[in-house]
Amino acid sequence: MAAGGNRVVITGVASHWGSELARALARDPSVSYIAGVDVRPPEDDLERTEFIEADIRNPVISRILPGLDPDVLVHCGIVWYPEPDKPARSLHDINVIGTLQLLAAAEKCERLRAVVARGSAAIYGSEAAAPSFFTEDMARRYPLKTRFQRDIGELESYFDNFARRQGGITCTMLRFQPEIGPGLDQPLVSYLNLPVVPTQLGFDPRLQLIHAEDATGALAAAVANPVRGAVNVAPDGTISLTKILRLAGRPTLPIPHPVAAMLLGRLGRQLGAADLYSDGVLLLRYGRGCDNRRLKEEVGYRPRFDAEATVRDFVAKSGASRRLVSSVHPGHLARRAGSPL
Amino acid sequence: MNATEAAGGAAEFVQRLRAGVNDGLDPMEAAERAAVALPKRLRDAVDRMASRLAGDYHEDEWGFDEEFAEAAYPLFEFLYDYWWRVETTGVTNVPAHGRGLIVSNHSGSLFPFDATMIGVGIMREHPLPRWTRPLVLNWAFELPFLSFFMRKVGGVPASPFNARRLLEQNHLVMVFPEGVKGTGKPFADRYRLQRFGRGGFVEVALRTGAPIIPAAVVGAEEIYPMLGQSRALARVAGAPFLPLTPTFPWLGPLGLIPLPSRWRIEFCDPVDLSEYGPEAAEDKALLFDVSERIRETIQSAVYENLVKRGSAFL
Repeated sequence: MAAGGNRVVITGVASHWGSELARALARDPSVSYIAGVDVRPPEDDLERTEFIEADIRNPVISRILPGLDPDVLVHCGIVWYPEPDKPARSLHDINVIGTLQLLAAAEKCERLRAVVARGSAAIYGSEAAAPSFFTEDMARRYPLKTRFQRDIGELESYFDNFARRQGGITCTMLRFQPEIGPGLDQPLVSYLNLPVVPTQLGFDPRLQLIHAEDATGALAAAVANPVRGAVNVAPDGTISLTKILRLAGRPTLPIPHPVAAMLLGRLGRQLGAADLYSDGVLLLRYGRGCDNRRLKEEVGYRPRFDAEATVRDFVAKSGASRRLVSSVHPGHLARRAGSPL
Repeated sequence: MNATEAAGGAAEFVQRLRAGVNDGLDPMEAAERAAVALPKRLRDAVDRMASRLAGDYHEDEWGFDEEFAEAAYPLFEFLYDYWWRVETTGVTNVPAHGRGLIVSNHSGSLFPFDATMIGVGIMREHPLPRWTRPLVLNWAFELPFLSFFMRKVGGVPASPFNARRLLEQNHLVMVFPEGVKGTGKPFADRYRLQRFGRGGFVEVALRTGAPIIPAAVVGAEEIYPMLGQSRALARVAGAPFLPLTPTFPWLGPLGLIPLPSRWRIEFCDPVDLSEYGPEAAEDKALLFDVSERIRETIQSAVYENLVKRGSAFL
């Protein structure tokens, strides 16, 4: 580590993940300087973070970035869902062209020793026949079916190429499972909050959702201790969709899956998933599990919440669920009768 | 719980429920209070159901739901005891704890019940019963209902990665190296084992140091005698193959009822490969050698049990 501490540059700092990371790094005394790049300023003021308005798709980034002289570059600018100023039709450009431009700029940074990217586990896909836990070397086992998957696949290849050419720079590709948190404005969270949740009849996928706190924790841990190659960011264990919805006390509406694909697609667009709805439909049919041993053993981050605890915490914080029938044991009833209702 | 007691409980329940509603309670709460009148076993069952509906149940990381498997178990037990009158021998060859890989022949065309019956055999006959985790043909996970039913009772998509992870977690894993070739073999060849894949199961056993327990099942061959296959129907259903039996698909859903053949299951002596060490997993010749040896063990056990069984149905 360079004397005088680490200089960190974060792209996509206006996004939830970028801002949260900037906040986490601001508390870290070994980080001497934080700069955040985005096309719009973050909603809240971030202390210790210098905001730089720039678009990573624009070649100007090649002049700005070397001037910031980062030790670590964190690419949080990979967008999953449309955001303000980042409409659905520009996602491909931001993710693929933006990453390409950013890496070109990174080649000119002299002190740069690590690049950490916030990627997605969507690259593994959701397949009925898939191994129950993907390890990092299993990317591209199946054809990349959706637009978002192909984008992630393409930008990961650029990333791999960059890592191969720049042997002195440690490149970490974090593959995140979908994140949930009570305050998150995201299609999956909106889906779980629907008054009646449509599901696919006869399917009950195993899912891993990562707690917002662990998502930031894992990202910050990777910045402090970058390792080469891909790392899955997933909680321990898995949880089925049925169990999630029961814990959340949501009534479900099972729909035969050929029809559900259409309907969920339309719903997905309304919830703001844009092109990602087809990923969502497959995820909510077949599920996906990722092995997180590399995150725990090599990056050294142990998620605080396992798959079930993540959901329980989410439910507890976004309004208590109501059981339709509570216990019918006399002791339990007496307790309830005694409690002020 | 005898019938009169239950009837009395039910009558009192209705009375209390009515009284509760008349007192201005909402029906759900009135029902909860009236439940005191019900027999304890029924109350427990209702309670368990309510907890499950509230999401309070456990599934492990593979999606195995022990409570669900226990609920489905009586049906499997009925098939084991009365439908197929299974006789199981050598069950103590199955390790009571720690990892183990059961390798068995595979047949039964339409729905391979052999995996289920091996599982029940271990639960019923073993001094220390334990659940098995069968590796299931991937196609099952494409199908609605079957997909989650399979995983809830312990089934896992067939993949060497899954086998390895399960064994590392000290589970008892069950594999059918014949795969679809086994279930889809013509009726004339029903007792002859097909090729044993690429020896992947030996590789997994070597890497994890798990003992292999060869198992021979006789009887599953007759439950859905395969007269032929329909390629057209298979293509429509997206299935790897679609058997035509004397009853399926002619009788519709009734054709899914398996014939009541008589079964035998034998667990042979375990094969310990730990002397070779995990590096031996790279040795392809060894893999084929061990794989073939185990295939022969199972084949001769199948013939022996065939003779011991005698008539297929009586």
